[in-house]
Amino acid sequence: MRSTRSLAAIAFIASIVITACGGSGTPTPVGTAAAGSTITVMSLWGGSEQASFQKVLDAFKTKSGVIANYESIRDNYSTILQTRISGGNPPDVAIIPGIGFLRQFARQGSLKKVADLGIDVNALKSNYPPGILEIGQVDGTQYAIMVKFNSKSTMWFRPDKFKTLGVSAPTDFAGFTKLLGDIKAKGTAPMGLGAADSWTLTDWFENIYAKQAGPEKYDQLFSGKLPWTDATVAAAVDTMKSAIKDDYVAGGITAALGRSFTDAIGQTFAANGTAVLYYEGGFVGGIATGQTNTALKVGETIDWFDFPAVGSGKTVTIGGDVIAAFTNKPGVKEFLAYMTSADSGSVWAGTGAVISPVKAVPASAYPNDLAKREAAQVANASAVRFDGSDLLPSGGGDNLGAALQNAIQGKTVDWAAFETAMQAKWKAEK
Amino acid sequence: MGLAPTPVAPTQYSARAGGRTAARRGRGPESPRWGTALLFLAPAALLLLVFLVYPAIYTVLLSFNRGRNGVFEQWIGLDNYTRLFSDPDFINLSTFPPSGALWNNVLWVVFYVSIVIFLGLIIAVVAARVRYESIVKAIVFIPMAIAATALAVIWKFIYSPDTNIGLLNAILGSLGVAPVSWLGDPGIVNFALIAVGIWGSVGFATVILSAAVKSIPAEVIESARVEGATERQIFFRMILPMVSLPMSVLAVTLVVNVIKLFDLIYVMTRGGPGKASQVIAFTMFQQAFEAGQYGYGSAVAVVMLVLLVPIMIFNVRRFRTSSVT
Amino acid sequence: MSILAGGVVQGRMTPAGRVVAALNRTVIHVALALIGLIWLVPTLGLLVTSFRPRSDIQSTGWWDISNLHLTVDNYRQVLEAQGMLQAFANTVFIAVPSTLLPLGICALAAYAFSWMRFPFRDTLFLIVVGLLMVPVQVAFIPLLTAFRELVPGLELTRGYGAVWLAHTAFALPFGIFLLRNFFITLPPDMIEAARIDGASDVWIFRKIVVPVSVPAIAAYGIFQFLWVWNDLLMALIFVQDSSKFPMTRAIQNLLSQYGTEWHLLAAGAFLLMIVPLIVFFSLQRYFVQGLLAGSIK
Repeated sequence: MRSTRSLAAIAFIASIVITACGGSGTPTPVGTAAAGSTITVMSLWGGSEQASFQKVLDAFKTKSGVIANYESIRDNYSTILQTRISGGNPPDVAIIPGIGFLRQFARQGSLKKVADLGIDVNALKSNYPPGILEIGQVDGTQYAIMVKFNSKSTMWFRPDKFKTLGVSAPTDFAGFTKLLGDIKAKGTAPMGLGAADSWTLTDWFENIYAKQAGPEKYDQLFSGKLPWTDATVAAAVDTMKSAIKDDYVAGGITAALGRSFTDAIGQTFAANGTAVLYYEGGFVGGIATGQTNTALKVGETIDWFDFPAVGSGKTVTIGGDVIAAFTNKPGVKEFLAYMTSADSGSVWAGTGAVISPVKAVPASAYPNDLAKREAAQVANASAVRFDGSDLLPSGGGDNLGAALQNAIQGKTVDWAAFETAMQAKWKAEK
Repeated sequence: MGLAPTPVAPTQYSARAGGRTAARRGRGPESPRWGTALLFLAPAALLLLVFLVYPAIYTVLLSFNRGRNGVFEQWIGLDNYTRLFSDPDFINLSTFPPSGALWNNVLWVVFYVSIVIFLGLIIAVVAARVRYESIVKAIVFIPMAIAATALAVIWKFIYSPDTNIGLLNAILGSLGVAPVSWLGDPGIVNFALIAVGIWGSVGFATVILSAAVKSIPAEVIESARVEGATERQIFFRMILPMVSLPMSVLAVTLVVNVIKLFDLIYVMTRGGPGKASQVIAFTMFQQAFEAGQYGYGSAVAVVMLVLLVPIMIFNVRRFRTSSVT
Repeated sequence: MSILAGGVVQGRMTPAGRVVAALNRTVIHVALALIGLIWLVPTLGLLVTSFRPRSDIQSTGWWDISNLHLTVDNYRQVLEAQGMLQAFANTVFIAVPSTLLPLGICALAAYAFSWMRFPFRDTLFLIVVGLLMVPVQVAFIPLLTAFRELVPGLELTRGYGAVWLAHTAFALPFGIFLLRNFFITLPPDMIEAARIDGASDVWIFRKIVVPVSVPAIAAYGIFQFLWVWNDLLMALIFVQDSSKFPMTRAIQNLLSQYGTEWHLLAAGAFLLMIVPLIVFFSLQRYFVQGLLAGSIK
């Protein structure tokens, strides 16, 4: 630990010198200094998402000469990362969705501060809309930067089946539950659900809560300042249960508890799918059209409408990934700087897999209407909030998912015990 | 058995006390000296000290510490332990029935150990009455050769909620019963997992108990038969007491298996749904290597060690009394 | 006559007794057949599935014999595309040293505990017996920390060094215990005679004890080999380079990533099982001996 700290100090001083000589504070990829070095990048994506990200890595290599080798952690990424950290061989860079884990790694001292890498954090502020950089901060210090996100306020549906059934997208939640009832009355169970992946249930809850209780309470709840015994929590769960009913879920709730989220996408969008609605984030489009059913046509057989407002609340929730550095090998700083640039943002946005938080990425960079609308939805939202379960401490998201799995089965949730367990987790994190 | 340079009376694989007293003679130079013994013992001693003894002491000490990054940084006394025993995921005695990882281990000890021994004995006794006994024992024993990871795949397949894939639900379906979510229902999952554990371990019990039963002198049983004792009386009053020692050793081995149980749970359910099927070895892994709570995880490891200490003492005592060294 | 045969006492049996005996025998055969089924069918089901094409698996059960189209495509896919061939090699690469090292070290130590006299010999052996119970969980955190802080240059977790050493160390208590219990059953005259002739302990060990003990050593070796081959937990902690993952980790990843792709999972699981099953069937005798020796005294 001591030796790496002095290395970091030297790197910091060196970077100040380089920046001073370089002049401008805007971080630009230093093409020559680190050319030829290799870094390891770890993240969760596989399949089509991985192929999209590889394009970004290839563009980075062309620009800077640094080879970034991607390694996919499909399972339990936090455990793999933590084990490798304790074993002394973490990846150079990781891109993760869990802010709780970001805090864990940062407070352990396993992460390099962005500033220590030689990147001017103040100059970054102009790259992003307000609030984005804060997500990557721990105790006020910048440890990570958001590199991509998807809206989690997208309700996916089949326009063709809506037409056949003679129904249209609702504008608020009351209209939504009525829609579900109408479709059911016509003989189809309307919704796909993959409740085995309990994080899909936490997404439902967060969306409803952010709208119903408002963004301020949302912030308090997901930072441990508002107890889970507050009435707003139970109210949001009730709203959720008014839509996730055994009648409305294709196959019933018990079967849904054994279904993964990719299979649930198939319930609605596969060639022999029977459901007409599926709720999850903007990434569903890429998975559905790329893996589930390549015959899908945007606008005809696949589209999304805004997650219905609850009352007057229209807060949009997003899920995103942040990039953080574990080492400061040559190439790491260059990679982080590249990932904050409009260049990388445009390349990645062009694949249709993600929305880039970088302001300078134009709407034209997105390849299709689905992505363009998604970017616009977030840009124009009255308030935007980050995925709550990813903000909770380690294990907190699992607890919330399990509680919601119980709730949709009609079991009572002991919110008092939940709050006690959660508070213990917040305390342990410090 | 192998090629002996100087043929002597056949040696027995499991020694008896008498043989050992005889073996006591000539087991080394008259006065105990370190000499070459050091050479023979050094590699083992080095590895054991570095990889077992030192880490065990370190972990015990770390459990009283915050232990960030696995180093000693802040003494917190018994905090980790109070936190552990008030964590409902670890042990929750406020509901009936209780829940929590420790409770799940208790469930395993009660059901897995007893049913494995029971089935093992029954199969050993019944199979002994047929000519194809060794085939039966081999079949039941096969799962012992299979990795827990592969057992998990086999049984996830059987338990699948899809009636085209999961055998159990297909059978239920043909009987008109709705599919059961064996691994997704928190009320059933532990028993579904215990069933897999039983399936994997009965062969072990059968082999051991079969050997134990066969080592009972036949004349004793025969004379009891001649005197008119029924099969049931013979079984309960004679066979059972005589196999009680191997049975207790078997039980102890199975209990140790339960305390160390990890692979099966990790692969089949990852402790889920939620935390319903967690066990303490899993808790240790999760706290140390997911949550980065090394001091806390060390406390769980110490709990495991403490639970095993009585067995350690039992083993040492049994060894001392059964051997005349 | 087996003590369990029972029932026939010197040929004296009434006709009713004979019928009852026959019924008993039928019940026994039926019961054993059921047991055989329960213990064979699950593994068999997965084996059959590993040879069925994906579309078949999704549409009908493996028990539907009318729909039997067999293919080796799943195996090809899992070996090449999913990297199971590399994982297989990794498993071998981990298991072999983790078996040979403990074998050698345990035999040496067991000989010392059996046929040499040194101070505190019996107390030290009791400590070994006690160490049998130490769970591997107490070693993870300190060892990883030590690998990281004390010997980072050795990069033990980047390769196989860490897992070899860990497996070896944790195999020692059982191995020393087992082999020592076997060694002391050797005839003392054999060894005494050699001593009188002036043989050194090293000579006695090499030329007398080891050759005579081959079955016991082999039994322990098989036991340890299968234990390491089938291990997941140590690999989760100590093998950190994903290109070095053994099959247990590879299958576990496959299961969490492609949870319903049974054509791949079945083939993968069987690749993991095939070597232990072959070892088990061909060397059953040794395997069972090893178990018995460790449990019954």
